[in-house]
Amino acid sequence: MRESMLVLILGMGLVTFLPRFIPMAFLSRWIFPEKLKVGLNYFPVAILSAIVFPTFFTDGSQVEIQSQYLLAALPVFFFAWRVKSLWGSVLLGMAVYWLLGFIL
Amino acid sequence: MEIPPLPPLLKSVRLETEGGWGDYVVALVKSMNKNGFKDGVKGALPIVLGYLPVGITFGILARKAGLTSFEVGLMSLLVYAGASQFLAIEMISKGIPNFSIILATFFINLRHILMSSNFSVYLQNVRIPTLGLLSAQMTDESYAVAISKLPWMKNRPHYLLGLQIISQLAWVGGSVVGALFSSLATGTGWGLPFALPALFICLLVLQIKNAHHFWVMVIAGISSVFFKWALTGNWYILLTALFASGMGMMLERVWRKNS
Repeated sequence: MRESMLVLILGMGLVTFLPRFIPMAFLSRWIFPEKLKVGLNYFPVAILSAIVFPTFFTDGSQVEIQSQYLLAALPVFFFAWRVKSLWGSVLLGMAVYWLLGFIL
Repeated sequence: MEIPPLPPLLKSVRLETEGGWGDYVVALVKSMNKNGFKDGVKGALPIVLGYLPVGITFGILARKAGLTSFEVGLMSLLVYAGASQFLAIEMISKGIPNFSIILATFFINLRHILMSSNFSVYLQNVRIPTLGLLSAQMTDESYAVAISKLPWMKNRPHYLLGLQIISQLAWVGGSVVGALFSSLATGTGWGLPFALPALFICLLVLQIKNAHHFWVMVIAGISSVFFKWALTGNWYILLTALFASGMGMMLERVWRKNS
């Protein structure tokens, strides 16, 4: 096993374990800083957006609309919003993207 | 039913007779049932149905990103955080350094502090090693199922154990199965390049719980394209995440004043 991958997995393991373990083990009640709570509330949305949107609008560091990605994304947004199914979203996205490949 | 003392295995040859291992196991299982282990296993079934296919997807995509099947299994076992694991393999394939991936993982999973402190109130008589296992296996889903049983669950770690062990088995098992059979889904055919983007879109949409989240998504979407254009490398991901959640904090103040 590659050393850097082992480091990555152990590092990720540690930073996911500590927030789960420390409060359960050492605190019966903890007042969480309100500001941090608000910020953390938005962090997943922010980082997922940062992953998702450049896929549609950039090619390398060039700003350029990726029509096949963008057109496949629209039904997936709608499906995910209404049905809330990860598995279904992946299948739908793959199918639409694949079909668009014949048209575009 | 009380758990009988362990039979003296080395002295006793007749294991099937009264007081043997057979009886011990039966008594142990019955005592676990009393404490809710079996209820926990039952409660895990909907989670298993959710985790298996996503775990399989993770296994397939992680192999495509260059991880070995063993690394896939180890990551699912030790990290056990769906969104972070998908994010990690996306960042690995982009060549982003380990430190940034670990930092992003840390911020994404800090929310577990809230759930963990909520649980702690109900698990005060549970020993630390057991708490270690219970907390390592805690997820959004197991938390959501368990809080519906909170008053009853008080100091019944067996229920949580059953619920979470089965859930994690589904996640680790699913990802290993996906990794082992990933060769069946190769190349760029069948829309495979869009599998990960579609998954992230759904993960993103699931996070949008109110109008504030929606506007943070818009801010992050625009700023991520700008940062990617303006900066070299892959700093745009972490930078956007910090910038947009910071903007969310600021806007929250404005929204609160107006409401």
